[in-house]
Amino acid sequence: MLCIWETAAGLELLGPNSRLIFPSLEAVMEAFVRNFVKGYAGLTLWVYVGNSMLLLLEGMMTGVILAFLFSGLSMISSIFHAVYNLIISVFDLLPGVALLPVVIIVFGVKPGVIVFLVVHAVVWPMSRNLLDGFKAVTRIYVEAGENIGLHGMSLLLGIYLPASVSYIISGLKVGWARAWRGLISAEMIFGVAAMPGIGLFINQMRTNLKNAEMYATLLVIVIIGLVVQYGIFAPIENNTVKKWGMSK
Amino acid sequence: MISKRITALTMIFLVILATACGTASNANESEETVVLNIAYQYGLAYAPLIICRENELIEQEYEKLTGKQVTVTWTQMSSGADINTGIASGNLNVGFMGIAPALIGISNSVGYKIFTNLSGQEHGMMAHDESIKELKDLIGSSHQIALVNIGSIQHIILAKALVDNGYDAHALDSNIVAMKHPDGMNSVETNSISCHLTTNPYIYKERSNADLHELGEVKESWPADNSFIVGVCAEKLYSENPDLYKALCQAMDLAVDFVNSDVEATAEITCEYDGNTYESEAMYLAAGTYGTSTKGILELAQFMYEYGFIEKEISRYEDLTFENVAGD
Repeated sequence: MLCIWETAAGLELLGPNSRLIFPSLEAVMEAFVRNFVKGYAGLTLWVYVGNSMLLLLEGMMTGVILAFLFSGLSMISSIFHAVYNLIISVFDLLPGVALLPVVIIVFGVKPGVIVFLVVHAVVWPMSRNLLDGFKAVTRIYVEAGENIGLHGMSLLLGIYLPASVSYIISGLKVGWARAWRGLISAEMIFGVAAMPGIGLFINQMRTNLKNAEMYATLLVIVIIGLVVQYGIFAPIENNTVKKWGMSK
Repeated sequence: MISKRITALTMIFLVILATACGTASNANESEETVVLNIAYQYGLAYAPLIICRENELIEQEYEKLTGKQVTVTWTQMSSGADINTGIASGNLNVGFMGIAPALIGISNSVGYKIFTNLSGQEHGMMAHDESIKELKDLIGSSHQIALVNIGSIQHIILAKALVDNGYDAHALDSNIVAMKHPDGMNSVETNSISCHLTTNPYIYKERSNADLHELGEVKESWPADNSFIVGVCAEKLYSENPDLYKALCQAMDLAVDFVNSDVEATAEITCEYDGNTYESEAMYLAAGTYGTSTKGILELAQFMYEYGFIEKEISRYEDLTFENVAGD
């Protein structure tokens, strides 16, 4: 891919403005360094990345906790399960950025709006995966748990949760990807200059026609995604579902 | 396995090559069909364009000049940055946008110049909090100011108002929240945000809200007859098809004349597109200034350079506009 990129940039395939809109890898790498050293308007990209990660972490944690809470309650109460299932089906379809005007009216204009959108991106797919995982638990495990006196919360913690770890990890991966994309999209639309994130940085670079800097920032997004995938999710998978033979 | 990967990579490369070649030749005209790709944005500041499109003025003017047909495609885009990229890539020949992104494009040598002014509109900043009476009440505070985008004309107007009143151009940069005009209006009206810097029609809607009051310094800094929306044309089109360029300019003259001479007829056509009633559309149109001569753009370019909004200095009016454009 890098060879294709460099060839396309070198041949200036996009006409006289090729260098401006499709910069060479060298220009992108220079911009990559410049973003972290010089940045834009007195702030380096470190600040933007730090702010985004802070909001993401806050939203992810809230979303995951809520998903566990509501999915757990769904396994205890059949009425709650029916209601929550309907809520997931409705809200999972709504793109977070489409909710932005309503969210601003309800929550005001603050970084918390971005956190809300991240929670929205995480909680529904995570809940869906958790419920699917709970449903997929073999009946014999549940009966074994009930025979040793587990019921309600203890059955959930002792049987359902351990038996659906592969679904939980899958839900976390889907939730992370959606949260990451949702965060960048929301920051691109709704930029709070007091707490600028990566999305706002991309928007500023687009506005100023600094395409090398913009591509370099996309590279940062990819790198963060790979670090999370291979640095966090892969070790968790290796030490749980793969180790236990639940997944290849 | 390796050969499959090589084949896949080769195919991707060929697709990119074909796309790029297609893009580069897209704006060219053949003997039979001349195509003009125009991009614009949403709002009544673009009213002459709706007239131009609905009445097919460019098509008519081109036929009068050459006896040939031109196919005009109109694309509505969400920001000046997108239009800049479209023109730079050769996919667009003409774009209409705020003066600030146009100056950014010229400064970055996108390959276009301003071929017409389109409109000037009143700007203003409304506040909800009674304690905010002037700009100095905002400096150093945590009050947030909604405006359409960082680097937009509204952002530059805020910076200019600050300088005009003796403050640092970037003193309120960290107070800015980038929001679309309707979201900004909702936010200031519900007191979710302290201030909203906006333009026609939102400024008039907000002025009619008794809970809001205006900070006069912003309004004075960029009067309504100064250029707000301008049209830019690729230099390639200007040099390679002078007849089409001439037809474009003549069509814009006719469209602007139409708006100025008959606001009611214009409102009848544009109200549906702008989502206003006929009465309010006519009122908002009458409040705008529509004309093809620019005003204040060189001064704005120099201001933007001086305060770091653009990197290249533009010192001559001729560097901004084609020779047929009058103004300053």
